Amino acid sequence: MSPFTCPRERELSTLLHSGHWPRACPDDLHTHVASCRNCSDLVLVTGALQAARRHTVELPRLEPAGAIWWRAQLRRRNAAIEKVGRPILGAQIFAVAMALVVVAAIAISQFGNWSVWFSDLPGTFHLTALIPSSMSENSTLWIIVPVITTIALLSGILAYFASEKQ
Amino acid sequence: MSWESIIPNVLAGESQSLAGTAPAAAMDNEQFAAFYARSARSLWAYLARVSRDPGLADDLTQEAYVRFLCADRPQDGEVAARRYLFKIATNLLRDHWRRPQSSSIDEIPEAVFAATASEDHSESVAMLGLAMAQMRPRDRQLLWLAYAEGYSHHEIAQITGLASASIRLLLFRARRKMARLLRDGGEA
Ligand SMILES: [Zn+2]
Repeated sequence: MSPFTCPRERELSTLLHSGHWPRACPDDLHTHVASCRNCSDLVLVTGALQAARRHTVELPRLEPAGAIWWRAQLRRRNAAIEKVGRPILGAQIFAVAMALVVVAAIAISQFGNWSVWFSDLPGTFHLTALIPSSMSENSTLWIIVPVITTIALLSGILAYFASEKQ
Repeated sequence: MSWESIIPNVLAGESQSLAGTAPAAAMDNEQFAAFYARSARSLWAYLARVSRDPGLADDLTQEAYVRFLCADRPQDGEVAARRYLFKIATNLLRDHWRRPQSSSIDEIPEAVFAATASEDHSESVAMLGLAMAQMRPRDRQLLWLAYAEGYSHHEIAQITGLASASIRLLLFRARRKMARLLRDGGEA
């Protein structure tokens, strides 16, 4: 037996919770409780807390059950929407990232062919007039950089709108 | 396809994936109302007496039921449902105490309980309030669950998350202190 238990505590506890203490109990238990510190503590504390419970359960002004039920339905619905939306946002970001990678890969692999085509472009569309004369030697770069920047910008805007929608 | 048509499938998928559990929302409005009527007052009393703050008990009682309805809970009947509800409420109390902006629970007056007691009981209710105020929150929880609600040590371990083996010793110490305070008229 541990120092903080009494062999009659379980029996006493059952009688206390069933409401049989103190009237419907054997006399020897009364005698025991009078001389046992553990059991007298148990009787005192259980009696006080049970009385407090009987008093306290009368106090609350409870919200109607229907209001709580509908609030829970709303929260479940919002949670479900969020759950459905999460993979969609993930897929959008993934698609944008993949598009950027593909564009970059194509740009790198085709750089040689495009540089020839791009170098002809300013002459074809008379864009040379727009490029400062000092920079005209790097005209290919002047076309590629804005194109890549525009693609990146569009991707960013797409990702932003995807997150806003979420 | 509308969101409303997707959601039931998602929820059904969730419930099917958890063997042995089902969403509490499977409980319809009327079933919930009956369960609420039988359990809400004792849950509120637990929250109010442990927190010593009836206003907080109002808020946490509502939140506990909303979470209960949203959760996948074990379907072992009403006794298990009540225990699960007390577990949710216990976690809410713990979260509240952990929040730095929450006021110290020892600063909250006990007056509301004594003020509402009948003349016959006002002295004992006030004395219990004074004694409870001297106890640590965890001890108040353990005492209330064990002696006001009549939960076993095993059930208290499930509700509080404390180790089952330590409940006996913690309860013994809390009970001894509480009994001493009650004998001394609630004064430390
Ligand atoms: Zn004893």
